[in-house]
Amino acid sequence: MSSSCAVIVSEETAVMDLGPFETDNSVSCRLASQIPDVCKTEDCCLGIDEAGRGPVLGPMVYGICFCPVSKKQQLKDSKVADSKTLSEAEREKLFQNLDEAKSYVGWAVQILSPNTISTSMLQRTKYNLNALSHDTAIGLVQFALDSGVQLKEVYVDTVGPADKYEAKLSQLFPGIEVTVRPKADSLFPVVSAASICAKVARDRVVKGWNFAEDMGEVDTDYGSGYPNDPKTKAWLLKCLDPVFGYPQFVRFSWSTAQTLMDSKAVTVHWDDDEEDGEKAAQRQHNKSMLSYFSASAGGE
Amino acid sequence: MKRRAPHPATAKSSLTDRGRTTGRMSCNTSVTRVRMSSMGQTQTAPVHLLPCEVEHDGPAQVAQYFAATTKDRKYEKTVSFRGRGLKGQELSCPQGYTGLVLKDINKPGSDQEDRTVKVSSVFDKLTYWNMETSPNSDDTVVMAMDWPELAEAIHGPVED
Repeated sequence: MSSSCAVIVSEETAVMDLGPFETDNSVSCRLASQIPDVCKTEDCCLGIDEAGRGPVLGPMVYGICFCPVSKKQQLKDSKVADSKTLSEAEREKLFQNLDEAKSYVGWAVQILSPNTISTSMLQRTKYNLNALSHDTAIGLVQFALDSGVQLKEVYVDTVGPADKYEAKLSQLFPGIEVTVRPKADSLFPVVSAASICAKVARDRVVKGWNFAEDMGEVDTDYGSGYPNDPKTKAWLLKCLDPVFGYPQFVRFSWSTAQTLMDSKAVTVHWDDDEEDGEKAAQRQHNKSMLSYFSASAGGE
Repeated sequence: MKRRAPHPATAKSSLTDRGRTTGRMSCNTSVTRVRMSSMGQTQTAPVHLLPCEVEHDGPAQVAQYFAATTKDRKYEKTVSFRGRGLKGQELSCPQGYTGLVLKDINKPGSDQEDRTVKVSSVFDKLTYWNMETSPNSDDTVVMAMDWPELAEAIHGPVED
């Protein structure tokens, strides 16, 4: 259904086939370009960045971009810059530039669906967003290595303490010089390029989101997806279902979504809720099985 | 099917596709009468038993949200509810048993009062959902489905 949207998008702009993700947008999915031959023979640098960490709607996308160290200047000349300072149209244009440089530039993105984010963060043994982010970045570097890319330098944009992350990555990938910096996307062109890939993937996925839920005519005017965007707020208020809460497009683990469900949806109790055991028992109006076997059976 | 949750940790709510969550039946001394004459006109409904308590007793958009997003893979079903990952398995009611979704005819004032219920739908199988782990033979509900056969083997007449 919405795969037709993706086709229209790809015809107009540079190739990034979202098909594999759109077949099942409840899971995590990796999309990648062809690996340029030159990247398998020459020493390469690789940049890592993410898009959509903050929004309450849609996926978080991790992107890597790589090219031979000898082509750094050429990549810089293709005017890739921090994607946050660009409009959606400008990012599409730059992604086009990257696509045109495909003889020496390769990329890959990992799309973490909002459902993956919700169910990870709300897991019984919590899997927080930082751990999920690190594991995703590590997985993409490993993918490049497994594809035969001769990695020598890796540049990473980070939120949180850079030195600890740098040490972790250096230890995991011996022989690769790892540089982790806040705002790396404005310091290293290869990180800007990774940022563009990630952002373009997120823009396209959000724009053409295929609701698995049977919601009839869905209002797709959900804005940027950031919790402080008035359009996003209005959409979240409008789309709230009293029992199910939201479609899988929404990150249930975000406080914005949780606060709205707490006030406007019915309460749901889970056995690992942090509530007093005795109170929980009272609420359920039932007794421990063991109470029937004790001397004071049935006594309150 | 009458449910008496033995312990809060195993208490479940169920959702049926016709939009009813079955109410809790507490352990008390009052009597519940089932109006069996209501059974004739009832239909079979898909029933889901969830590993949580939903504070709601009424219609729900089960088909639109829950069934529409359920992934039915070879050995297990997966879905998420309120952002939590569930794994499910279809369980058949024991041979000779029929599952009943019951509805109060008159809302009782308290747990102490006797109540009369009617059959709102029937089922011969249900989907049992666990949080993050697949249902297995350690789950009480899975064991309960085997119980009648086991009880029959123990207490039934012995053939010579």
